Amino acid sequence: MLIIMALLPFLGALLPSLMIRAGRNACAIFTALPTFLALVILLILSPSVMRGEVLQAELAWLPQIGLSASFFLDGLGLLFAGMILGVGLLITLYARFYLSGEDPMGQFYTFLLLFQGAMLGIVLSDNILLLLVFWELTSLSSFLLIGYWKHLPEGRQGARMALAVTGSGGLAMIAGMLILGNIVGSYNLTDILQAGDAIRASDWYLPALILILLGAFTKSAQFPFHFWLPQAMAAPTPVSAYLHSATMVKAGVFLMARMWPVLSGTDAWFNIVTTTGLITMVLGALIALFKNDLKALLAYSTVSQLGLMTMLLGFGTQVAAVAAVFHIINHLTFKAALFMTAGIVDHETHTRDIRRLGGLRHLMPVTFVIATISALSMAGIPFLNGFLSKEMMLEEASHTGLFGSPSALPILATIGALLSVAYSFRFVVHVFLGPVRDDYPHKPHDPPFGMWAAPALLACLVVLIGVAPFLAEGIVTAAANAVTGADLHPHFKIWHGFTPALWMSVVAVVSGAILLLQYGMLDRVWEALPRPEAKTIFDHLVAAVVAGARRVTEITHNGAISRYLAIFTIASVALGWVAYSGGGLGPRTRDLLAVPLVVAVGWLMLIVATGYVVVNHHHRFRALVLIGVIGLTVSAGFVYLSAPDLALTQISVETVTIMLLLLALHFLPKVTPRESSLALRLRDGAIATVAGLGVGGLAYAFLLRDTDTISDYFIANSYEGGGGTNVVNVILVDFRGFDTYGEIIVLGIAGFLIFSLMHALLDGPAAKRLRARDYSQDRSHDRHPLMMVVVTRVLMPIAMVVGIYIFLRGHNAPGGGFVAGLVVAIALLMQYMASGFAWTQARKRIEYHTLIGMGVVIAGLTGAGAWLFGQPFLTSAYTYVHIAPVEEFELATAMLFDLGVFLTVLGAVMLMLYSLSRIARFAGETVNMEPMDYDPSEHVDDGKVKV
Amino acid sequence: MIAADISAVLPEIVLSVYAMGALLLAVYTRKDEVAQMLVWATSGMLVLVALWIALSVQDSRTAFNGMFIDDGYSRFAKVMILASAAAVLFMSQEYMERRGLLRFEYPILITLAVVGMMVMVSAGDLMALYMGLELQSLALYVVAALRRDSVKSTEAGLKYFVLGALGSGLLLYGASLTYGYAGTTQFAGIVTTATEGELSLGLLFGLVFLAAGLAFKVSAAPFHMWTPDVYEGSPTPVTAFFATAPKVAAMLLFGRLLHGAFGEAVADWQQIIAFLSVISMFVGGIAAIGQTNIKRLMAYSSIAHMGFALMGLAAGTALGVQAMLVYMAIYVTMNIGAFAFILSMERNGQPVTDIASLRMYSRRDPLRALAMLVLMFSLAGVPPLVGFFGKFYVLTAAVDAGLTWLAVAGVIASVIGAFYYLRIVYFMYFGEETEPLDGEVQPVLTVFLLASAGAMVLGVFNLFGIEAFAAAAAATLVQ
Repeated sequence: MLIIMALLPFLGALLPSLMIRAGRNACAIFTALPTFLALVILLILSPSVMRGEVLQAELAWLPQIGLSASFFLDGLGLLFAGMILGVGLLITLYARFYLSGEDPMGQFYTFLLLFQGAMLGIVLSDNILLLLVFWELTSLSSFLLIGYWKHLPEGRQGARMALAVTGSGGLAMIAGMLILGNIVGSYNLTDILQAGDAIRASDWYLPALILILLGAFTKSAQFPFHFWLPQAMAAPTPVSAYLHSATMVKAGVFLMARMWPVLSGTDAWFNIVTTTGLITMVLGALIALFKNDLKALLAYSTVSQLGLMTMLLGFGTQVAAVAAVFHIINHLTFKAALFMTAGIVDHETHTRDIRRLGGLRHLMPVTFVIATISALSMAGIPFLNGFLSKEMMLEEASHTGLFGSPSALPILATIGALLSVAYSFRFVVHVFLGPVRDDYPHKPHDPPFGMWAAPALLACLVVLIGVAPFLAEGIVTAAANAVTGADLHPHFKIWHGFTPALWMSVVAVVSGAILLLQYGMLDRVWEALPRPEAKTIFDHLVAAVVAGARRVTEITHNGAISRYLAIFTIASVALGWVAYSGGGLGPRTRDLLAVPLVVAVGWLMLIVATGYVVVNHHHRFRALVLIGVIGLTVSAGFVYLSAPDLALTQISVETVTIMLLLLALHFLPKVTPRESSLALRLRDGAIATVAGLGVGGLAYAFLLRDTDTISDYFIANSYEGGGGTNVVNVILVDFRGFDTYGEIIVLGIAGFLIFSLMHALLDGPAAKRLRARDYSQDRSHDRHPLMMVVVTRVLMPIAMVVGIYIFLRGHNAPGGGFVAGLVVAIALLMQYMASGFAWTQARKRIEYHTLIGMGVVIAGLTGAGAWLFGQPFLTSAYTYVHIAPVEEFELATAMLFDLGVFLTVLGAVMLMLYSLSRIARFAGETVNMEPMDYDPSEHVDDGKVKV
Repeated sequence: MIAADISAVLPEIVLSVYAMGALLLAVYTRKDEVAQMLVWATSGMLVLVALWIALSVQDSRTAFNGMFIDDGYSRFAKVMILASAAAVLFMSQEYMERRGLLRFEYPILITLAVVGMMVMVSAGDLMALYMGLELQSLALYVVAALRRDSVKSTEAGLKYFVLGALGSGLLLYGASLTYGYAGTTQFAGIVTTATEGELSLGLLFGLVFLAAGLAFKVSAAPFHMWTPDVYEGSPTPVTAFFATAPKVAAMLLFGRLLHGAFGEAVADWQQIIAFLSVISMFVGGIAAIGQTNIKRLMAYSSIAHMGFALMGLAAGTALGVQAMLVYMAIYVTMNIGAFAFILSMERNGQPVTDIASLRMYSRRDPLRALAMLVLMFSLAGVPPLVGFFGKFYVLTAAVDAGLTWLAVAGVIASVIGAFYYLRIVYFMYFGEETEPLDGEVQPVLTVFLLASAGAMVLGVFNLFGIEAFAAAAAATLVQ
């Protein structure tokens, strides 16, 4: 039944939109229907709740994260549910008459029911996660309601501000609720309410408290979040009356009351909540007094009254809690009535500006009576309900000290009361009393009965409770007991004798009246005073936040990749530092090796060359030469450290790449532009130094410590398993044969790719630019020096033999297909460079493409051959062959595989060279067919003879 | 033996063969003219493979000597990856076609990237990890620069490539250190060496740099710098793709590495991941505030979301992994919807990405505006939409693991985040009217938008049962 009640508004939310076609009355009736049904259910359930029972109902939802759709109904829930549904019903009636024909009423009622459901959900939830869900739903649906009149700019502003403030508060509350749930181990409110001691003792009490209060304060418009509520007043009046007086803004108060047994009773609670409430009460009342917009006046008065309730809850005493609960009811009755009368005035006169009103008493007598009763109740005049709860508040305030001062709180509370008397009187006096004016924007008269019925009913309640307060005792007792968890039996009396509270009340009423008499003067003072306008502050705050965020973003994400790289590097270094400080570095187990002179020199060369490259990288040729030096030094280092294989590979790779780069640089600018300032370079230098030192330090630390390496395995198994004594080569062609196979394929593809990219390039606009190329430097007169041609031709067969030798010995001694391929490539490269492209090309017998293809196929077939013998791919086999007169030698399938590597490397390198020389030809490079057959003396100026 | 191995990677093999076949087909027939057909075919293919993986019930198994793991975790990931990639591809066809970007390479590259992602989430070895990662990245570098005649697009591709290479370098450095000190590249082997409190410095460094490399791939701050530029520069469908499948793959690979290889040393990486998480959430949230371009905004939003997903990982528990999986599933669904909307933002046939162009969108197309409102609120994590449950899952996991400070920081970050999501809603509902966007929207985009928004609402009942799958998947990873 409880669940049905909670879900009724949601189920009914579709009805108004569907029924709008059947007319506005049908629409209103079908909105009232679910509300009415829910109210009936509530009444049926209420007797048992009044007896102190707690009704519970639960539906499983997502139990894994502690979320269940569980509801419970106790006194507090009953009070709020009754308020929500009761006022909801009245508002439905009122809105039917208030909204004009053009307004989309179906949509309005749908939002209203959604909101009502969300509100009901908050007060009935037994699960704090469920409560959160409903909490944010109220923010959402109120957003839609406030922004209902989309054509009003204030409406939009108000809706946005309300959503931003309350929505964010709600999100903050999630964290608070999470902490609570974590401390208690359950997200069920009933469990949490039992665990007050554990929560207050927890280390996380204060953060949880602050986060939850953030949610409550934003929702209930407490200082300093009070500014959104008046801004939200652009909403249609029924919305203001419902959301901003009766229900939504009370959600924060409800939450504080709900959590009262758990969170209150500590100094933190008292100080935060009481102070906030007090400030809000006084400040709200002060601003309300000087507002000329009827609804703004009421809005600030609501802020002030909410502050009063918050303060009462903050006291943390049981009597104060009773007073708070009582005031919730009283405020609901008079404030909703006042909002509705304000709406009537607006509706009839077409203005809400107090300065343009006055004398309405004669034109709208019914409205006048309702307004007067409600306003006097708000002022705290005896025999009206406002008096009772205000008296209780003053009584409590009179003996509560704040921050060590016994008198501060009573005085401030009296000032608050005084101001509220003044603005209440002003509402009546300046609107209804005085002479009838003839300049109303619209001639007013009393509205139809349907419109004033609702406020009249509320005004009756105001008087009823005021005269016979015991009528409210039952519900207040039930609610207060639910809040405090104690068994209280408060009795409300009108007359308490001459207590301090009564004197404070008298002072408040009298001086409030005096204040109003002097209003004209006060208003001028107020206007003259500089005062912070909350909306402007909020707007500026938002603008400042946006600007700040933008600035941060611009600094860090300016689009320059150099900055990105800098941040990237710094972050990596920082992470490295984190890892380093994580410890785990064992003691040193190795000593540094001795440093002979030659090593020191090599090291120095490396450092100097690297430094030179960094400083002079704008000069590409110089940098390239120095890079060559670095490569050679590194190769020498490998030799020194007894790694001939690496040295051999390094030196041949170095040679080939430098030569290819040299050729490529020929077509690029010799100098790159300087783009960064000195400061920038210094910064980058510093970052690079730190990163370099970090990596260097890491390497240093590791090299001084022994670790288990996998070298031993290879050394032990190289001969046994791979049939070779050169471990590096065996690794390449056997242990890691698969990798090598993949690599040569990649290398081949790279060669093809360069070729085809170049092909595409030379078909496009680049070709035109190349043709028109203007060489900045004088070119050599002798394009193909005789000496060089001769030397390279002599060197060629020698280099070839060396290549073959290196290839053959590879399996057992330093060398192998890769190095051999590079050596042979160098031999051929030299021919191209010395004798010219065309001459060499004409003597080429095999296409480079074919070479690559053959290489890959041979390697692949060798590997696949293993399948014939039932072995996995790339298993190698070897045998020893003895053919007289040659000495016994070894034949391994790995050799064949190596041949594939050799051919691919050779093909790929030569194809790259071929691609580069194609550019050269486009750029008008000399093509000599027979370099040795010509007489240099005939071609002094220019090489372009035979193309 | 080899047959069993191959059957474990059969989906990947099928997709690879499909990609190569499609490539040959396109090259030897009419090239870009078959592109449209290829997009349909590829979407269908991805969906089929997703169904195949989802419906084949299998125990956990490993292939290729533990290099490749086929378990509940990887299957969960693969279904997400395949489905989201198919959705994005399906949505993008008309957009690409109209802008003349529909090249036949596009669906093929996407397929290859997907294969890479599938290998990533199944990686049981640093080698497989790197292979998958690079296959994915290389394909993505190219698609980022698909719009070759646009400076922004090529710049995006180049930036992505350069930074990506650096990230890969960092990752490789970490991998080699790990290998050097663990003596193996297999996760199953590393986990026996890397035990709590006894992590050698080498392994710790390895772990840190591996984490940094992967942080780059998930675009977690402070390695996120490429994201906004690449999101902005790439064609929108490609951006949509970046925001979905690769994020899932990288995040789940992260989980696999942390739990599979370093699962016994949670304390050693928890703080690092928590740090990445908190920085990402705040950087994403704060930087998004000032954005006016919706694609850049989505970039920062994804950074913040990755921070939340990392929070699940930082918990270091099975619940944390489950939370991360749920979070990613929800994130991907929301993003597909959001990008379906962004793809439809056009004025006079030209794509618009300015947020201000959405002013008063609700008046012209209330239904789509409402769907976008739902998505934005869901992205912001506002209850009761599904996005909230994702956030709540990771927050719970963090609190359970004793990382309450992280959870609190996360909530504060989500408050910041709410600001910019709400700004979009605000523009759509209340802004001042400007030049309107084109009214006509391709039905397929509307369908995806509404489906995604509908899922955010209807999912509140039981999250479509996804968390049970996620729990099972997490259980196979964290024992």
